Amino acid sequence: MLNTVAVNLRAIFRDRVFHGIVVVALLFLLIPSVSSLSMRQVTELSITLALSLLSLILLLLSISLGATSLWKDIERRYTYSVLSLPLSRSSYLVGKFVAVALFLLLATLVLGAVACCMIWLASGIYPADRPIVWMNLVLCIAADLLKYVMLVAYAFLFSTVSTSFFLPIFGTISVFLAGNASQQAYDYVHSPLAKTLSPVVKQAASFFYYLLPNFSAFNLRINAIYGIPLSMKAVVLPVMYFCIYTTLLVVLATVIFTRREMK
Amino acid sequence: MHAIEFDELSKVFQGKKKVTVNALNSLSLQVAQGEVFGFLGPNGAGKSTSIKILLGLIGSTAGTARIMGVDVTEKSARSDVGFLPENPSFYDFLTGEEYLRFVGKSFNMSAADISAGSSDVLKRLDLWEARKRPIRGYSKGMVQRLGLAQTLIHDPSVYVLDEPMSGLDPIGRALVKDIIRELKERGKTVFFSTHITADVEAVCDRVGVINKGVLLAVDTVSGVLERGVEGYTVRVLKPDGASEERVVAKADLQEFIEKSMAQRWAIERVEPKRKDMEAFFLEMVSPKQTSG
Repeated sequence: MLNTVAVNLRAIFRDRVFHGIVVVALLFLLIPSVSSLSMRQVTELSITLALSLLSLILLLLSISLGATSLWKDIERRYTYSVLSLPLSRSSYLVGKFVAVALFLLLATLVLGAVACCMIWLASGIYPADRPIVWMNLVLCIAADLLKYVMLVAYAFLFSTVSTSFFLPIFGTISVFLAGNASQQAYDYVHSPLAKTLSPVVKQAASFFYYLLPNFSAFNLRINAIYGIPLSMKAVVLPVMYFCIYTTLLVVLATVIFTRREMK
Repeated sequence: MHAIEFDELSKVFQGKKKVTVNALNSLSLQVAQGEVFGFLGPNGAGKSTSIKILLGLIGSTAGTARIMGVDVTEKSARSDVGFLPENPSFYDFLTGEEYLRFVGKSFNMSAADISAGSSDVLKRLDLWEARKRPIRGYSKGMVQRLGLAQTLIHDPSVYVLDEPMSGLDPIGRALVKDIIRELKERGKTVFFSTHITADVEAVCDRVGVINKGVLLAVDTVSGVLERGVEGYTVRVLKPDGASEERVVAKADLQEFIEKSMAQRWAIERVEPKRKDMEAFFLEMVSPKQTSG
């Protein structure tokens, strides 16, 4: 499987998407000067901007790499030559997934470091009322990474059943939007404000809440921006959730892909 | 143990609107070790379907297939096989050399073996100069030759080649035929599909003809050619010095020779006049057309 991971990482580094991301990453350099426009919460704004930009880049990477990686291999008929090697379908698929996840990790490490530098620069020029809790910032970035790796697992799942790029790309975007809204929708449906809703709607909302990913669990931004202490539970539970949910998605994708016919 | 074995293999494709296509119908075939077998059939006959099942790319609806005794649903069945797909496509962001390294690693070859094997096959297939160029810059013929290179690098016992001459110029085709002959001399098994009868005639020991998913005939190439003798062209030299060519039916050859001797005609040449592989193939796949 290491061979598959290596060749897929090489594919990503030689892809135009990678070069595009490097260009977008240059926007990080603008953060201190843009943050200074707020006049008051410069550090907080710089953290918000840095985290948002990092999140946007990871989202673009997750969709562009996750949703097209497998589809491209099938579309360009690379699968005929690769899957005829003594390589199991599961190791091929998991290898591809690990390559994308590793690239996201690498991108997060590099861009996260750049983001922290920019935040440090902005906070040095305009000191914040509350000190920056760097550990919170690191955990927030790490949680964001987990969220996008989970999204990539969804993209792979869609790719295993689809014959075009339509479902992997738009399905992944839909899951991203739904995953970000699922907690709010669930909270609303089970709040006194929604007491007029029928029980069927409430049950359906609960069903989708448990089926769809809950990306709110990975949102530690408030803690990072305002230096609010994080409980152990707020860190451990999302990690466990990520491990179980992502494993299930990858296993399901592998089962489907193993049965897929390479016509 | 046979190198390749199909046992009552069937494949039904489910199309849209519940339309089913019987791509393969109870295909049973054995290819012996060290044999060069040509799988001949028109487009859409079921050749590629059989090969895809053999390489585990698609599953069979019924029946089994084995390579060196191992069921093709096991990945280990592919561990001693070199496969060239039809119109091959390889990771085009890699260079030819990098791709061969990837293939070598997939077969658990050591770095030294990969390096030596890669040099050998790249030189043999005239890709040495292009080895450091990305595959996306290769011509169709170069990709086809790289496809052959990646089947050779790990020196497997069984070669499965789907239309190996496709996209090659005459020099490339001659090269592929030479390689197949070399493989035969080294005791390797080659199973290749084609719809070009001359290729089968040139390199194969046996031939199987498939059409519409049904295996119509399996025979030795020499057997097909011998059975196809329809008559002879005999060149005689008459006592007055004039030479003449006569076409003699197979059954009449003995009588003609005796008459010629009696008339003191000198027989200069006797050439069998036979149907070639193409006629045999056409007879198999469209008997009505050829007989009419």
